[in-house]
Amino acid sequence: MKKITVILLFLVFHLSFDIPKKIEKRIDKEILIVFDIESYSKEVIIVDQGINKELKIDFNNDNFYKIRSGGDLVGYFYYGKALSKADQFDFVVIFDYNLIIKKIKVLAYREDYGGEISSKRWLRQFNDLTIEDTVKYNKDIKAISGATISAKSMTNAVNDILISLTILQNIMQL
Amino acid sequence: MKILLFFVAILVLTITNAQESKQDSLRVVNRLLDYNSNKLTIGGYAQIDYNEPDGSAPGKLDVHRLVMLFGYKFSDRVSFLTEIEFEHVKEVFVEQAFVNYNVSPNLNIRGGLMLVPMGIINEYHEPPTFYGVERPGLDHDIVPTTWREIGVGVAGKFDNLSLKYQAYIFNGFISYKDGEGTLRGLDGLRKGRQKGAESIVNTPNLSMKIDYYGILGLKIGLAGYFGETQTDDTSIENSTVGVSMIGIDARYINNSLELRGQYIWTSLSGTEKYNTLTEKDLGSQMNGYYGEIAYDFIPIIDSKSDKKLVLFTRYEKFNTHKQTEGNLDPNKAFDRDIITSGIDFKIVSGVALKVDYQWFNNADVNTDLKNQFNAGIGIMF
Repeated sequence: MKKITVILLFLVFHLSFDIPKKIEKRIDKEILIVFDIESYSKEVIIVDQGINKELKIDFNNDNFYKIRSGGDLVGYFYYGKALSKADQFDFVVIFDYNLIIKKIKVLAYREDYGGEISSKRWLRQFNDLTIEDTVKYNKDIKAISGATISAKSMTNAVNDILISLTILQNIMQL
Repeated sequence: MKILLFFVAILVLTITNAQESKQDSLRVVNRLLDYNSNKLTIGGYAQIDYNEPDGSAPGKLDVHRLVMLFGYKFSDRVSFLTEIEFEHVKEVFVEQAFVNYNVSPNLNIRGGLMLVPMGIINEYHEPPTFYGVERPGLDHDIVPTTWREIGVGVAGKFDNLSLKYQAYIFNGFISYKDGEGTLRGLDGLRKGRQKGAESIVNTPNLSMKIDYYGILGLKIGLAGYFGETQTDDTSIENSTVGVSMIGIDARYINNSLELRGQYIWTSLSGTEKYNTLTEKDLGSQMNGYYGEIAYDFIPIIDSKSDKKLVLFTRYEKFNTHKQTEGNLDPNKAFDRDIITSGIDFKIVSGVALKVDYQWFNNADVNTDLKNQFNAGIGIMF
């Protein structure tokens, strides 16, 4: 039993460092700003592979975390990738403890086309969405000329995350 | 015993060798599939047109453009992008071919054959991204789309300001080659594009564009291009002209409504001497604008549909002889306006079926221009 725990711990420890250092730094910075705190600790949320298969988004045990400050749960964050026209971009969705979106930030955008979606102003449209919400591109979320593929991709990713979290919430009580 | 050990040693060696070669083959497969699927991008666009002028003239069917895009990512910072174009099936061009070095989210350094940022269409020229079978006339005769030259520059965006910038030093248009002038009144600088093909360079040209998208649904661009044309005979002083072009563009989307507008102002210096030397009729000022309104009717018909059924109208007015120098009288036939009205049906976001009708007009009362019906398929992936 001890052995298993050690392996599990190692696994958690190991996997939780899968976010590239540079990206991790950017996530840290955003979290501190959003919650107006000086430090925090994160705790990976482990999703059973069986449950994971049912979800629209792959919670591969290194992309969804609890955020704690001074021992208290202050929120959650999800780190993901989505497709732009010819590449992938990285983003983070920061939730408060009620799983309401506080902020989305594009952490790395790797091509010219569609880079407009990183705009703070545009991403602010997703703030305050709850896991029960679904948004429609070019209706609830304003379109961006010349960035359709990436803007749709971001909108779809947010919808998928929200739906998946609803399921997760029901099954395992986050 | 020794023999047994020897035997075991050979066996172990064989197994490790076998494993290694298996790994090698796996590695090759990895490189071909996993590895490249993340690093190599393939895309493209195509435009297949049918044009039929009014009257007895026959129609024309044409694979106007077929463009293949390849992108390759060497690392998270270094990438290469190229577009190879087949025009009218038989001509081959390279539309873009440049290396991008990503220094930081706010700064990229790039070099190679790149698009000149001016107006909307030159950068966003994939057929499903604009309405109508043909590109606007303004983006043909004043902004010579697809306008690309070899150069170096910087580009980036500021997420807090919702601002994107580009600044390049490009090779310019060629105005004089093999003893003849290339620029003319009808379409200004168009025939001077070198397109990166054994291009001649004497004077670098500066190109800049800023796009602002901080107001939801709206995107505004301001572009400038300044410099001088190139000549293959520098001993002839009058074989070049100075070029200054300024462009403002705006795009607005709100649910089903889409608005677009663009204004281009161009000043050419030294055209009197140039025209005398080359017997051309190049104007000294060219300008024009267009405004476009489009409305998607699909949400009324089927609110759940992902398709688009867009009715649009575009009005454009442009004059490549807005001003002329010396003895050259402005040719009124170059003072043109075009009304284009039609329907774009998008089956999916990457495929558009298009039909439209174009009314051509100019300020010369003696010309009788034929209007035109167009139909086409636009694809991008």
